[in-house]
Amino acid sequence: MAGGPQSPPPDAPLPEVTLESVPPVIPEVLPPSGLLALISKSRGNALLLTGPMDSGKTAIFSRLAYTHSLPTLTSLQTNSSTISLSPSKNVRVVDVPGHPRIRGQCTEHLGDAKVLAFVVDSNTISRNGAAVAEHLHTILHSLTSLPPSQTPPQLLILCNKADMLGKNSTGSSTSTLAINRVRTILERELEKRRVSTAGGVAVEGLGEDEGDGGEGTDGNAPFRFEEWEGGEVVFLGTSAKPVEGGDEKKDGDEKSEAEDGGLAELKDWLEENM
Amino acid sequence: MLDLCSISHKGGIVLWSRSFTPDAAQLASSSASPVNSLIREALIEGRTADEKYEKDGYAVKWTFVNDLELIFVVAYQRILQLTYVDDLLAALKTLFIKYFEPFLAAFVASLHALNSAKAAASQATTWDFAKAFEGWDTIFDKVLRGFEEKAALERKSRLRAPVRAAVEELSTPPSDDQSTEPSVNPDTSQDEQQIARNVQALKNRLRGRGGRRGGRGGRVVDSSSGRESHPGSDSEATPKKKSKAKAQRKWGDQAPTESEMATLDFSMDKPNDAHGKLDLQALVDQSSLGTRTGDGMYEVKDWEFGADKDANDAIANALKPLDSSKPKSTIGSLFARLTGSKVLTQEDLKPVLDAMKQHLMKKNVAMDIAEKVCEGVGETLVGQKVGGFQTTNAAVKLALSNSLTRILTPKTSTDLLLSIKSKRSSALSSTQQRMPYSITFVGVNGVGKSTNLSKVCFWLIQNGLRVLIAACDTFRSGAVEQLRVHVRNLSMLGVNGAGDSKGRVELFERGYGKDAAGIAKEAIHYGRDNDFDVVLIDTAGRMQDNEPLMRALAKLVAINSPDKIIFVGEALVGNEAVDQLTKFDRALKDFSSASGAGKGRGIDGMLVTKWDTVDDKVGAALSMTYVTGQPIIFVGCGQTYTDLRQLRVANVVQAILSD
Repeated sequence: MAGGPQSPPPDAPLPEVTLESVPPVIPEVLPPSGLLALISKSRGNALLLTGPMDSGKTAIFSRLAYTHSLPTLTSLQTNSSTISLSPSKNVRVVDVPGHPRIRGQCTEHLGDAKVLAFVVDSNTISRNGAAVAEHLHTILHSLTSLPPSQTPPQLLILCNKADMLGKNSTGSSTSTLAINRVRTILERELEKRRVSTAGGVAVEGLGEDEGDGGEGTDGNAPFRFEEWEGGEVVFLGTSAKPVEGGDEKKDGDEKSEAEDGGLAELKDWLEENM
Repeated sequence: MLDLCSISHKGGIVLWSRSFTPDAAQLASSSASPVNSLIREALIEGRTADEKYEKDGYAVKWTFVNDLELIFVVAYQRILQLTYVDDLLAALKTLFIKYFEPFLAAFVASLHALNSAKAAASQATTWDFAKAFEGWDTIFDKVLRGFEEKAALERKSRLRAPVRAAVEELSTPPSDDQSTEPSVNPDTSQDEQQIARNVQALKNRLRGRGGRRGGRGGRVVDSSSGRESHPGSDSEATPKKKSKAKAQRKWGDQAPTESEMATLDFSMDKPNDAHGKLDLQALVDQSSLGTRTGDGMYEVKDWEFGADKDANDAIANALKPLDSSKPKSTIGSLFARLTGSKVLTQEDLKPVLDAMKQHLMKKNVAMDIAEKVCEGVGETLVGQKVGGFQTTNAAVKLALSNSLTRILTPKTSTDLLLSIKSKRSSALSSTQQRMPYSITFVGVNGVGKSTNLSKVCFWLIQNGLRVLIAACDTFRSGAVEQLRVHVRNLSMLGVNGAGDSKGRVELFERGYGKDAAGIAKEAIHYGRDNDFDVVLIDTAGRMQDNEPLMRALAKLVAINSPDKIIFVGEALVGNEAVDQLTKFDRALKDFSSASGAGKGRGIDGMLVTKWDTVDDKVGAALSMTYVTGQPIIFVGCGQTYTDLRQLRVANVVQAILSD
């Protein structure tokens, strides 16, 4: 009895299995230059999904990682998975919880991120724009304050749930509608934040020197994403739900993805840019 | 009787869920689902120590499986007194893990991919969740029905003994569950035929069991002897014969699923599927698991034999691995630690957590809070594997610091300036006048409300805002004079900085003995008419137990509905912090809603004063944020107007954890 229960565990828990299985697999994927090469190579190839709660980060994640849109709840911890965009390209996707109390985990993964996707719910943005903008502000700030040795990840703003927006609008496609809406609201809210901090005296942090800067827009120019100093900001409309009208089946939808729905746009973009 | 039951991963992906009413179904798919609020308001904030969470008329109970990172949640109407929910959760947990462990492990591993090398592996397996959890619905139905019938029986009959025995049978498995889990894996090596046979046998047995349970409701239960006879007869009969008879009688409606499952078993082309089925058997009877771990391998025959053992045997067997693991622990655990496969148990954690609790209390964290926080930390750690040379101590410390960070991190914006400015610049209709932003300071006597109000006032003036101070402390002699002095000082300081001809700060006073609520109202109107940006309302200090005074305060809040209610508390406070805050919050909510101003208003934030007097014993900050869930907006740390600081969470966590 004594030895019995103990001996099975080594092969039972999966984490160990994966750890052990790593070294043999490396040569297939990367040139056999050892583990150091792996580490340096794996730096900065991740897609980081962040954004406020209920914006659909985990849904996008599950679509990318499992090709299913699984039902989701508020996340308690970070998910991380590897997806292959094309046969030769593997990308790590990290899904950081959006709850205000734990969204700080995002900064831990910034170093590995090549693309930082800020996921926004296009439907509720008009109601909670201020809160979303505050979150985005902290992210913009953490991007601009990265050490110069590090290339900051590309910022991507995903206007999620675009499908729910366009039910009644026929003119433009739903994703452009979502993008315009999100961009306008976020710019307005960020501008408000900029104005309120500009020239203001912030209360010092306890025991730390002042680290909070403005958004870096000099003078009185209102905040615009095009002029943001941290680089180009890309907007994409997405939807994690299977496309309507097409096959409702999960596998079917993968193929029959219409151009204005689903994650096709995101996938195309990722393939080009990662 | 349940409304909602769900099994999800901590990362947010729902593996399985079911709603029992249309309302619940609708709710569950929205973001207002009770499970979501449970996670947001209880789990993330570290309130895991509480037994149950209530929201919108739902009572929610949950349980964790830490090594597989699963959360099992059951929600039901709060008015129902469902006694079996805990047992149900435990049973679901055990069964679900036993049936689907390999799949779950693979799933969890796929959520922790660390580098691209893993990609090949995760890509290779196709993720068919529907198929993987096929069959779980039937099992769930069976388990639930069993519990509901038992509960009904318990209510009706006064024969408690047999019922309790039955409940025990089902509730004990969870306890041994952790220790036996790992053993499930070896059987993946079995060949498919064996698996298929096992599956068939188990299914039969399951079916038999379900039928039996269903039948029990009708029969009058005659004490424990009746219970024992069932398993006995079970073991004697050949499974096949029995099951067939039962299937026709009891489970005729479910024949299609059974046959489906059977065909799937034999085809065996889906690895996930095989695992699921295999586990399924393993799960059904705990007894076989215990024996299996003992000799490492086992054969089909043994297996079936084990499966048919009676419940008492099962419990005994299940407990064995636990006991036997104790003696060899010195070498075994050392080895385990070296190989990084040590699983934390309640026993490992207890001494460390106790020490942590003592430590927290030394740092002036209120006792209840220290207890709850440590319990919560323990709950997230039990069953987790400690890797490499990491000691239990280090693991606990890390988890504790994470938990403290979560508790202290504000979940709402603490940017006062921004909210003031956005209120002042919000669009108004032409008839409306712009209302000033009002902030009320409340708290017990002598914590420094007026002093810190003047510091906040100084800060606001520095930001170019015009501030009106309303002297609503009409009780303590000298209160108004104190504020007058502050206003005099501030007006000199403020005007120097910015060249505004208008007074940047004014005092609004009506002397002593008047109704504070009325004065506050007048002050806000005065502020509106004279274009002040902010009205700071100073209230009289009061003890939280003094109901008439608390009612008066609630009236002030209800009448004026200030934009922020800031509780001022001193950092010196220990256990009292909990009492103060809960009672202030409660009184404000209860009394202000009673007076008809819509739903009650609670405290919006805290200001912790006398911070400079406590060195690193900053536990009060933790106690306060834990109790209310609201952020600490400012910290007062000195005698001058500039001694106002914002809290840095990392600093506080560090101070609390430092020795």
